[in-house]
Amino acid sequence: MRVPFEASLRALVRPTGAFAEPPPSLGRALARMLALWTPLALAHAALTVREGLQAYGQLRRMGPPGWMSRLLGADPETLWELFRDLPAAPAFGRIAPWLLVGVPIALLGTWIHHAVWDHAGLWLLGGLKGRRGFKTTLVAEAEALRIAALGTLAGLLGFLPGLGAALAFPLVLLEGYLWLFRGFALAARHGCAPWRGVAATVVHAVLLGTCALGLAGLMLVLLRVGP
Amino acid sequence: MRRVPWIVLGLLAVGLGLGLAGLLAPYADLLPGCAFKRATGIACATCGLTRSVLALGQGHWGEALHWYPALALLAAGAPLAALWDLRRAWRGDPYPALPASRALRFGAWLLLAGIWALQVARGI
Repeated sequence: MRVPFEASLRALVRPTGAFAEPPPSLGRALARMLALWTPLALAHAALTVREGLQAYGQLRRMGPPGWMSRLLGADPETLWELFRDLPAAPAFGRIAPWLLVGVPIALLGTWIHHAVWDHAGLWLLGGLKGRRGFKTTLVAEAEALRIAALGTLAGLLGFLPGLGAALAFPLVLLEGYLWLFRGFALAARHGCAPWRGVAATVVHAVLLGTCALGLAGLMLVLLRVGP
Repeated sequence: MRRVPWIVLGLLAVGLGLGLAGLLAPYADLLPGCAFKRATGIACATCGLTRSVLALGQGHWGEALHWYPALALLAAGAPLAALWDLRRAWRGDPYPALPASRALRFGAWLLLAGIWALQVARGI
């Protein structure tokens, strides 16, 4: 019996040998990444927006939960008044068409962002070889992100009722691994030691992510445990 | 063969992003702040960056320089980078590879550490 995404799962389990094949062309790598990642990211974005709108509506109707007032250190009455005065959220149907435009742009932006910063990280660590330039990084990132799209698929499980809070921590761990996983693709395509590739993704995270990831993590936690 | 000025396109996108960020400046107080600083009490390497971005988005260069000098200096140098990229694309030259010099890499590390130390020393 053929397991769905078998090759991708194998690559995630044994990342060092996952990129032994000759690299695809940039166009092919990009097309394969988008073909798998776009539908998953669209589903993820649609569910996130739907849940966000529901949580927003609930905040306006019922006021903030006790933990939020404590976290923000604000007077609950003042906070509730603030939420009551907020404008009504738009209907999901009005936002959905924008997701069709915004999600693919966000995916391309993520791909280029990762490529730029991982490339810089790899340079800082001495992992770049003479003739293999930025295009090699773009291909490696597209290959790795296509496989890492399975993380988006796993993230969809977090939307199942009752499972969101239970899966929050494992999903954060998975996201962390998938972040480092790009390093194996970088190392294989640039012909350097895997530790340099993985360390390049860590440098990227430290350089840009200390603040942004902390902020995003905090926001995610707020969304996950929200009403 | 003409080439695409990717740096110019990137700068245009960043400029658009900065403009949008400037519109969000009134809501900046709602952001929970840096998790690293909250946990350790020490500024992280990018502490002040968000405030600098918001200030740049509003055209407040002095404020941006105060919050994150490196970003303001980079932004000031962006037109030069754009001109170089346009000239490169017009002439059909490929992007040069990053220098393999160990000294330059070490210098880049020192620069990054210096930026961080500056933010910590100033208590940003």
